[in-house]
Amino acid sequence: MKNAENFLLPPQFNDDEANITARLIYFTSGGLIVLSLLFLTVSPLIAPDLTVRVMLLALGVIPINLGIMTLVRFGRLRLAGILLTMLIWATATMGTITTGGILAPIFIGYTVVITLGGLLSRNKGNVYLTLICIVSGFLIALAETNGMLPQPHTYAPYAQMTVYSFFFLAIMLMQNVTAGSFRKLLVNVHDSDGKYRSLLENIPITTYINSTDIKSLTEYVSPQVERLLGYPRDDFLSDPEFWKKIIHPEDRERILEENKQSIDMGHTFEMEYRLIAKDGRAVWVKDEATLVHDENGKPLHWLGVWTDITSRKTAEEEQSDLISVMTKRTIQLQTGAEVSRAASSILEPGKLLPTIVELIRNHFDYYYVGIFLVDNSRKWAVLSAATGETGRQMIASGHKLEVGDSSMIGWCISHGHARIALDVGEDAVRFRNPILPLTRSEMALPLISRGEVIGAMTIQSELPSAFSRVDITTLQSMADQVGNAIKNARLFMERTNLITELEGRNAELERFTYTVSHDLKSPLVTIRGFLGYLREDAASGDMIRFDKDLNRIASATDKMQALLNDLLELSRVGRITNPPEDTSFGQIVKEAMELVVGPNDEARIKFDIHPDLPIIHGDHPRLVEVMQNLINNAIKFMGHETKPHIEIGLNGYDRDGKPILFIRDNGIGIEPQYHERIFGLFNRLDPSIHGTGIGLTLVRRIVEIHGGRIWVESEYGRGATFLFTLPLSQTK
Amino acid sequence: MVGEPILVMLVEDNIDHAELVIRTMEEHRIANKVRHFLDGQSALDYLFHRSEYTDHAGNPRPHVILLDLRLPRVDGIDVLKAIKEDNDLKTIPVVVLTTSEAEKDVARAYYNHANSYLVKPVGFEEFKKLMDDLGFYWLGWNTNPEIKE
Repeated sequence: MKNAENFLLPPQFNDDEANITARLIYFTSGGLIVLSLLFLTVSPLIAPDLTVRVMLLALGVIPINLGIMTLVRFGRLRLAGILLTMLIWATATMGTITTGGILAPIFIGYTVVITLGGLLSRNKGNVYLTLICIVSGFLIALAETNGMLPQPHTYAPYAQMTVYSFFFLAIMLMQNVTAGSFRKLLVNVHDSDGKYRSLLENIPITTYINSTDIKSLTEYVSPQVERLLGYPRDDFLSDPEFWKKIIHPEDRERILEENKQSIDMGHTFEMEYRLIAKDGRAVWVKDEATLVHDENGKPLHWLGVWTDITSRKTAEEEQSDLISVMTKRTIQLQTGAEVSRAASSILEPGKLLPTIVELIRNHFDYYYVGIFLVDNSRKWAVLSAATGETGRQMIASGHKLEVGDSSMIGWCISHGHARIALDVGEDAVRFRNPILPLTRSEMALPLISRGEVIGAMTIQSELPSAFSRVDITTLQSMADQVGNAIKNARLFMERTNLITELEGRNAELERFTYTVSHDLKSPLVTIRGFLGYLREDAASGDMIRFDKDLNRIASATDKMQALLNDLLELSRVGRITNPPEDTSFGQIVKEAMELVVGPNDEARIKFDIHPDLPIIHGDHPRLVEVMQNLINNAIKFMGHETKPHIEIGLNGYDRDGKPILFIRDNGIGIEPQYHERIFGLFNRLDPSIHGTGIGLTLVRRIVEIHGGRIWVESEYGRGATFLFTLPLSQTK
Repeated sequence: MVGEPILVMLVEDNIDHAELVIRTMEEHRIANKVRHFLDGQSALDYLFHRSEYTDHAGNPRPHVILLDLRLPRVDGIDVLKAIKEDNDLKTIPVVVLTTSEAEKDVARAYYNHANSYLVKPVGFEEFKKLMDDLGFYWLGWNTNPEIKE
């Protein structure tokens, strides 16, 4: 049954055209078989005289058409078509000839031949067929005119109409089949177009078509764009340059440049960039466009695809964020290691702090890093190290902040906690620093050592919100190390100072021993030597020499006495007996003058005591002793100066803020090579001038015990200036 | 050398010590002449014929120099250096005569080519003995180089 059913329907081919041809032939052949059978049944009723002919015709037509249908099933469409056409032509020709001429109704069969030929043939096949029909028609007419044909058969009108009907039905059949096929074909075409369109407009990418001119105008964009970017599709179509306007500003330049190059060169455009969606989001797209050409190679349009790669880009960004966080951590660890290395290896406070601020600033690329240390009064935080030229200037100007709530550093020190201002403009605690105008974030970290806040570190960045919680933790741990390092460095300094002091004491002791062995032995040599001569003098009765020698012995013992007194005095200076007090230097000078300057000196020498002498802090009687010695020296070494002049005054302040006092004379002066020696114990430059040589030693000793220093500026013959520093009164 | 007057240069800031040295030398006829200088500067002026000592004939070079170490103006060690750095003077024997027994002074003296280092003894007999021996050794037994002028 199934086979029979199959036989009723035409076979299916891949090619639409083949399908149409197959249907046409199949149904025409089938129709001819059906019509033949119909004719066989109706002709005995309406045209009994034709029955034999119809029977003969049917017997020929039916098997041939079955054969044609079989050929179609085997795909031999062309052969089947030719056979079918030839069959109908042959039938019509034979019918016309046998029925006596072109007036026979069967002659109309030629129209079927031409119609069928037109439907089946390609190219000019139907033209030839038409010509064949015309020529064969004329040949039949010629034969008929010359009486070569049998007598024309006369048909009853019904018979005639029946024959016509047969052909009408045949034509209708062919028409039907053909028209149906074409409709179906159109529907197919329409269906497949719809399928592609639906595919194009439902896949998760946006497609577009742009013009090929330099403006690259949007001619089409698929509706997915609305989901991708939120703009209605019409925005793109009504403004063909719309896509250019929504490129992210950071990407626009490079994209338009690349786009222009692609158009110029005609090569594929492939870029990843951001578009700004209607809600302001940045949407990452991958844009791939290809130039499509027609068959003649003329460019038609750009066919492009936008793929949403935002999530991939976000992931990439997250990854790179992660990497930058890791990198930052690595740098922090590295800096931490370097800071701790510096903290443990550099013991000089003057070198440690600058190294650390530079390390931190450079590794983290901060704007400015500084370290404040609390001074002895614990009232001020003094900038002790800072980065850059700005830092150098601030340190030079003695930049300091009050401990307390008036500054971030002050707050941090008084509370012992870190403090952060992520946008300093909003934190009232910070005093905006005009020298550091770019600071946007600031952090103050306390430097703590053994529970004591010894200072604070300021870290400033040009970026707002530059510090994260992890940064604070890391930097605070560095600050803790710095705190300890400062403490260590200070201890080391103390130790070094102690060692230096001890070395000084040692050297002093050595000098003392030397002095004892040399200077005290010297009178002994004299005494013992002349004691011997004394005995000889006595024996020889030389009483004049006896007296002289005796005097020598006496003065040697006096000398020894004086030396012993001086030594005792010097050793006493080492242990200050008077408590230090604030005292006017002017008063000290006055008292010393009263003790030293005799009436003779006063008349002879012009004394010039400056009125602006400071209040100093020290052992008043000892300082009077200092001035006594210095004034005494100035008078003693005046030489033969005709206009002796002694000046005492203040010559500014040194780096530590100590006043530099001076006493200047216009006496004989001291050659530079003796500028140091004059301060040595019992060193005398001129033996003709009375004294043991202890004066300047004593002076230096007293000044040094007060934490000051003393030196001389002089040239031989041009007077001498002794300069010395003393601590200033602490209450101003 | 015989018949030539023997000249000793004494550089000593302590007048009493100088008197002791000179008196002992005179008694023992060690030197024909002792020239005494109170400080290093005048001693160098003499040796280099400077200042008041430009007359070569009146200020001849000494046969031996007795030098104290601690001297005003130019120190004894600096006098020693100046002598030993001068090609003409370096041949003159320099005997350091001082009260100091400090190792540092001894070392510094020899480092600067002192020919001898003597510590002034405390005691009359010892002092005389030292001067005696010194005279015998440096001016008697010792063969001195010819002094160039």
